[in-house]
Amino acid sequence: MSSKNSNLEVKGLTISRNEQVLLESIDLSFTSGTITHLFGENGAGKTSLMRALAGLLNQDAGQVFWRGFKTSHPEANFSNDLLFLAHNLAMKHELSIAENLQFYAALRGKAVSLSEIKTVASELRIESLLERHFAELSAGQQHKVSLSRLVLENAKLWILDEPFVNLDSQTRDWLSHKMMDFAAKSGVVIFTSHQAIDGLKIHQKISLTHDEDEVMA
Amino acid sequence: MANSSKSFWRWFHQLGSPKWFYQKSAKWLPWLWAITAILFVFGLYFSLYASPVDYQQGNSVRIMYIHVPAAVLSMVGYLAMAVCAVIGLVWKMKMSFMAMRAIAPIGAVFTFICLFTGSMWGIPTWGTWWEWDARMTSELVLLFLYLGFIALHSSFSDRNKADRSAAILAIVGAINVPIIYGSVKWWNTLHQAYSVTKKGAIDPQMQTPLFIMIGAFYLLFVILVIVRLRLEVINRETKSKWLQEELA
Amino acid sequence: MFVTLLKRELMLARRNWVAILIPLFFFIMVVSLFPFAVSPEAEFLQQIAPGVIWVAALLATLLSLDLFYRGDYQDGSLEQLLIMASPTQVAFSKVLAHWLVTGLPLVLVSPLLAGLMHLNYAPDRELLDPNHTPVMMLSLLLGTPTLCLLGAVGMSLSLGASRNGMLVAVMILPLYVPILIFGSAVITASLANSGYNAQLAILGAILLFALVLTPFAIGRALKVAVS
Repeated sequence: MSSKNSNLEVKGLTISRNEQVLLESIDLSFTSGTITHLFGENGAGKTSLMRALAGLLNQDAGQVFWRGFKTSHPEANFSNDLLFLAHNLAMKHELSIAENLQFYAALRGKAVSLSEIKTVASELRIESLLERHFAELSAGQQHKVSLSRLVLENAKLWILDEPFVNLDSQTRDWLSHKMMDFAAKSGVVIFTSHQAIDGLKIHQKISLTHDEDEVMA
Repeated sequence: MANSSKSFWRWFHQLGSPKWFYQKSAKWLPWLWAITAILFVFGLYFSLYASPVDYQQGNSVRIMYIHVPAAVLSMVGYLAMAVCAVIGLVWKMKMSFMAMRAIAPIGAVFTFICLFTGSMWGIPTWGTWWEWDARMTSELVLLFLYLGFIALHSSFSDRNKADRSAAILAIVGAINVPIIYGSVKWWNTLHQAYSVTKKGAIDPQMQTPLFIMIGAFYLLFVILVIVRLRLEVINRETKSKWLQEELA
Repeated sequence: MFVTLLKRELMLARRNWVAILIPLFFFIMVVSLFPFAVSPEAEFLQQIAPGVIWVAALLATLLSLDLFYRGDYQDGSLEQLLIMASPTQVAFSKVLAHWLVTGLPLVLVSPLLAGLMHLNYAPDRELLDPNHTPVMMLSLLLGTPTLCLLGAVGMSLSLGASRNGMLVAVMILPLYVPILIFGSAVITASLANSGYNAQLAILGAILLFALVLTPFAIGRALKVAVS
C-alpha cells in the first residue's frame, strides 16, 4: 500500500463560503515527498482550501484524489493517512496530555506507549506536564501538545493551518525539521504561514489572491 | 419511452437553473392565476350556495370546503419539502433547496388555516373551539414541525449550511409524520374523544365542490410557492448578470 | 474504532460527572414539584404519574444533550473525529454514551419517583400489592434510547446555528410525541390492569426504526455542522 505513490491531486475544485466563490475550478498537485507553502492575505481562502482538502468543507465542484482514488473512496485510506491541524487544537480540557494524544493515535489503530509520548514531550520540553489536564497548560504548551501528534501518529499527509504561529524559535526549528524528515520519508506536507520560515526547504509555493481568485503555482 | 425519459431529465435539469425558472415562471403565472380564479369562483359558488346543508350540522358544514383542502395542502406541503430536501442533498441542486425554503411558510400558513377553520367548525359542532381530536392534534404537531423547520433554517448565518441542515430536518420530520399521525390516532381512540370529523361516505353533492376547492387550493399553493421562489431567486442571485438585466 | 470512540465519550463523561448528574437531579425535582402544584393525594398522583414521569424524562434527556455535542464542536474535536472516523460511528458512539450515562441512570432512579408519585397505591388493601414499577422501568428502558437518538438529530443540526438555546427543543419536541404517547400508555395500561404488551412492542418497534435511520441523519448533520 505505502509503496504506491501517495500524491494528492486536486481537479477543478470550486469552493465558496457564504455564497461567495473563493476558488474557482483550480487544479493543484501535491506530490509525495514535498512541502507546500500556501500563502495569501486573510480571507483569500487558505483555510477554506485546506478544509476542503481535508473533506470538511463541501466543495461546489471538483474532486480531490489521494493515491489515485477519490478521497471519499475507501481504497484511498484517506481518513487514516490525513493529519489535519487547525487553529483550534481539538484537545479535551478534561483529559491529560497523554490521554488526549493516545486517543488520537488509537483512532488510527495505533497504540502509543507512554515512553513514546515522553520522547516527543522531552523534545518539546513539556515532559514534566504529561499527567496534567490539558486545561492547566499555557497556550504555548497546549500548542506543543497538538504538534506532538505529528510524530505520534503515522499519517502520510499533513495539512497544517498556521503551525508556526506564536512558536518559540526552538520549537519552530523542531517543527521544520520534523516536516523535512517527513517529506524525506515521502510524506506530503501542506501548510500555511504568513512569514517565511528560515531553514525550511519548501518545494512548492502556492499563492491565493483575493481579487481574481487566481492561483499561481 | 427512452425519449420521454430523456426529455423528463432535460426538464428536471432545466428546473435546476434559476435563470430558466425565473424567465419561464413569469409566463406561467398569469395562466395559473386565471385557472385558479376560475376554480375558486366555481368552487365557492358550489360550496357556499349550491351544495346541500348537512342534516346534522346545518350551514356550518360549509367550513369543510376550506378546512379539508387546507388540511390536504398542509400535508402535501411538508411532503413536497422533504422531496425537495432529498433532491437538494443528493443532486446538490440549489433550486431544490430554494423551493424547500419557499414552501415552508406557505405550508405553515395552510396548516394554520386548517387549524383555525377546524376550531371555527368546532364551536357549533363540539361546542368548544378546541378538542383533542386526532386529526386536529396531528395538524397541531405538523404546525410545530413547520415552525421547527423555519426556526432552524433562520438561525444560520451561512445559507449553504442552513439549507443542508434544514433539509435533514425536513426528511426526518417527513418520516415521522405517519408515525405521529398513527400514534395520535391510537391515543385518541384510547381516550374515546369526540370524533365529529370522522366522516362516512360523503354526499356526492358535497364531493364535487370539495374536489373543485381542493384543486383550487392546490393551484393557489403552487402559485404562492412560485412567487416566493422567484423572490428567493432574486435574493440569492443578486450578483448574477442575467438577473440584473432582467430587473433593469 | 467504535470502542475507542465510546471509551473516550465515557471517559469525558466521568470527568464531567457533576454535569452528568444535573439532568438526573432535574428529573427528580421536576417530578417532586407536582404534588405541590396539584395535590399530594395518593389516588390523584397515581393517576397523573405516567404522564409526569414521562414528560420529566423527556425534558431531562433534552437538557443533557448539550454535554455530548457542544464541547466537541467548540474545541474542534468534532472535526478531528469526523476526519478519522465515519460520521455514523461518531454519531452512534455519542448516542450510546449519552444513553448509558443519562438514560440508563434515569431508568434506575425511576422507582424512587414511582414512590413519590404513589404509582403503586392501592385503595383496596386486601388485594395483593400491585407493582407497576417494573412496567414503568421497562417503558423507560425502551423509550429513553429513542429520546436520545432523536434528540441527537436536533442537537447536531443546531450545532452550527447562531442561536440554539431553545432551538433543539422546538425542533425535537414534536418528534417526541409518539414516544410520549406510548411510553405513558404502557404505565396507564398497567394501572388499569389491562394488557400493555402491544404498547411496549410499539415502543420497541419505534426504537428499532430510529436505531436504523437516525445515526445516518445525525452523522450527516454533524458533517454539515463542521463544514
